[in-house]
Amino acid sequence: MTAAASMILRVPGVAIALVLLVAIFGVANPNFATLSNAQNILIQSTILLLLALPMTLIIMTEGLDLSMGAVLTLASIALAMTVVATGSSTLALAAALAVGLGFGVLNGCLVALLDIPPFIATLGTLGIAQGLSLVVTDGQSVVGIPRGLQQVYGGTFGGVPIPILIGIVAFAVFYLTLYRTRFGSYIFALGGNREALKLAGVADRAMLIATYVVGGTMAGFAALLMTARMNSAHPTAGIGLEFDAIAAVAVGGTSFERGNGWLTGTLLGVLVVGVLRNGLNLMAVPSSAQVAGIGALVIAALLVDGLRSRA
Amino acid sequence: MDVAPEPAAQRDAVPLFELRGISKQFPGVKALDEVSFTIARGEVHMLLGENGAGKSTLMKVLCGAYRADSGELLQNGKPADISSPADARRFGIAVIFQEFTLVPYLDIAQNIYLGRAFRGRVPGFVDRKRLYSQARRVLDMIGFDIDPHTPVHTLGVAQQQMVEIAKALSQDARILVMDEPTAALSDRETERLFAIIRRLRESGVAIVYISHRLAEVFALGDRITVLRDGRKIASVRPAETSPDDLVRLMVGRAVDRTYAREYCKTPGELLLDVKGLASDNGIADISLAVRAGEIVGLCGLVGSGRTEVARAIFGADRITAGEIRLKGESIAGSPEDSARRGMALIPENRKQQGLALGRSVGDNIVLASLHKMFPSGIFRPSRAARAARAGIEQLRIATPGPNRPVSVLSGGNQQKVVVAKWLAADARVFIFDEPTRGIDVGAKAEMFRLIDALVQKGAGVLMISSEQTEIVHVCDRAYVMRAGRIVGELARDQLTEANIVRLGMHQ
Repeated sequence: MTAAASMILRVPGVAIALVLLVAIFGVANPNFATLSNAQNILIQSTILLLLALPMTLIIMTEGLDLSMGAVLTLASIALAMTVVATGSSTLALAAALAVGLGFGVLNGCLVALLDIPPFIATLGTLGIAQGLSLVVTDGQSVVGIPRGLQQVYGGTFGGVPIPILIGIVAFAVFYLTLYRTRFGSYIFALGGNREALKLAGVADRAMLIATYVVGGTMAGFAALLMTARMNSAHPTAGIGLEFDAIAAVAVGGTSFERGNGWLTGTLLGVLVVGVLRNGLNLMAVPSSAQVAGIGALVIAALLVDGLRSRA
Repeated sequence: MDVAPEPAAQRDAVPLFELRGISKQFPGVKALDEVSFTIARGEVHMLLGENGAGKSTLMKVLCGAYRADSGELLQNGKPADISSPADARRFGIAVIFQEFTLVPYLDIAQNIYLGRAFRGRVPGFVDRKRLYSQARRVLDMIGFDIDPHTPVHTLGVAQQQMVEIAKALSQDARILVMDEPTAALSDRETERLFAIIRRLRESGVAIVYISHRLAEVFALGDRITVLRDGRKIASVRPAETSPDDLVRLMVGRAVDRTYAREYCKTPGELLLDVKGLASDNGIADISLAVRAGEIVGLCGLVGSGRTEVARAIFGADRITAGEIRLKGESIAGSPEDSARRGMALIPENRKQQGLALGRSVGDNIVLASLHKMFPSGIFRPSRAARAARAGIEQLRIATPGPNRPVSVLSGGNQQKVVVAKWLAADARVFIFDEPTRGIDVGAKAEMFRLIDALVQKGAGVLMISSEQTEIVHVCDRAYVMRAGRIVGELARDQLTEANIVRLGMHQ
């Protein structure tokens, strides 16, 4: 193999995918490669990032959280109803976080204590959260979000859009947690060798529950951005977000086995999904068809990864 | 024939650790019978025995994974209550299993201190400076020159083993138990490991070393304890014994009527003919033959590649070289093809590979012969029920009826269902992988009668077993494997346990 070829092989696939997508859309549409559109992509990607970061940790434990989108929806409704009823944004955020935390605890207990496969357990909680959203709203949007709250999505701080700042902080916190704390190394061990963790005297089940609690709580927090962005809470707003999050994690190179995760890859994966959605939007591809595009991308990414690791 | 440790290794009269009169019973088998075992400071104590002799059980009692039914554990003469791995660690006992307890995507330092990381200034964070400097210190103790930042998944087996040793030492282990540590090492790596073990011995660490290889027993051991059938047979010093003595001690001379049968004097047609077979799973150059009327043994140590041979012949693993002929015809090497042409594999793990546990006895019996029984593709319950009843009667399967789920049957009867399944499919060549694993003595005898009945009717049987007694008494011939190859064939009159051990051991 030539030096150039082996160098290309060492560049992560998700980075190549990102560059390729940007190049393709840049050529195809003059409105794509502009500063304001780049900023748009980053802002629009924040909500996905807030879900994909904890999803990475959960997948590293050889788990899955399908309920994230539905929990986000329910948290968003709780937030909107609270702020409409009380006028307090703080209380509203607390309500959203409480919903997320509650579902995180539920997911964690189902998986870690009752040994229900994560796919089934979180599919069940997805149904519960989605159903509750429709019941409490009667299928209607909750409107009347105060201006101040909308600023969380639309505003800037020191010239930088607030969602981008939130994204940067979230990434930094997750990065430090995974690579610099004891909890982080336990997450590697949960998927990599749970027996080793047990033998080391660590409460492995508690750590697994904690991972799902992080996931639920982040979904609750992401509800804040979602509500601010839509200026309302809608009982179907979060449907399919878990799909995008899992896609971003998979495209980012995190493995579903042996605790092999890569947080920077997830960040790039989120951008890949964001760029793809944005580019297809600009080309007037309907949102429903975009899902097919993302699905194809995930399969392509994993295929290429498999081929490259054999090369 | 017990000896005390060498005076040089014995700093005081009381042993560092003692297991006294340990017994442990599992359903149907007495795994340990009044075994006593002492460990002295700074000695390498070799633990020797055949598969199933009780070595692993004894070590699991020592490290708290099992609780003994009776007997005492003593540290420095005082009772030591060990009922969990954490207890064992507190007493300075560390075990390095063949299956490593490492996390692949963490680095070496994080693995060594997993669950015990140094607290940093910020709560929850790790003091990385100390983590890596301490890891460096422990790695230096065993002379392992590697960057502690290296992720474990990039290491080879030998290096991972070093990390395991470092991990044990970082916990101040005074007793290090190693279960066949050289099983996956090259000669050079083995030499390095021995150097480390000698170094640890110098520093006063006691090492219990489980081995199958006689050469290393003599190269490394200060004392040798031999177990057989759950009993301690001898504890000797290397200078007082020889490899031949040890083989005799390990094998013993127990004969049992369980296995009585008429051996095959005139084998029939060549049913299975394998030449130069190799597979992805590490077996190479396998040639063997099974004729009608014969029970042919395939033996060797656990991990010598016996199951892999069975899987390759049946077509379950990809074949990279060689040829398999079934009744003279070359076969394609897929399980479907093998089954259709009359070969049956009865795997070791019935629950995972041989039976649909949730389905009924009848469903399982017709499972492999659906094609033959219903060529039109339409299932006829009455025909299936007839075949199921025939199988149940023929093999005397103890079930209230064909509609009972297989999961409620005993191990021996489940085994029979698997055989009935293949009989219904007209199999002529049967490969049994550990047919008596997990069934009691009575069921064993019946199993062998069943296998004998198969060959009486003109079938050929290839039987894998870890129990050499079984091979010696049941088989007409046997092949012995070592490290993925067949290293010898023993005819009926050469078929003794001593010969099997001699061929199968790494000398």
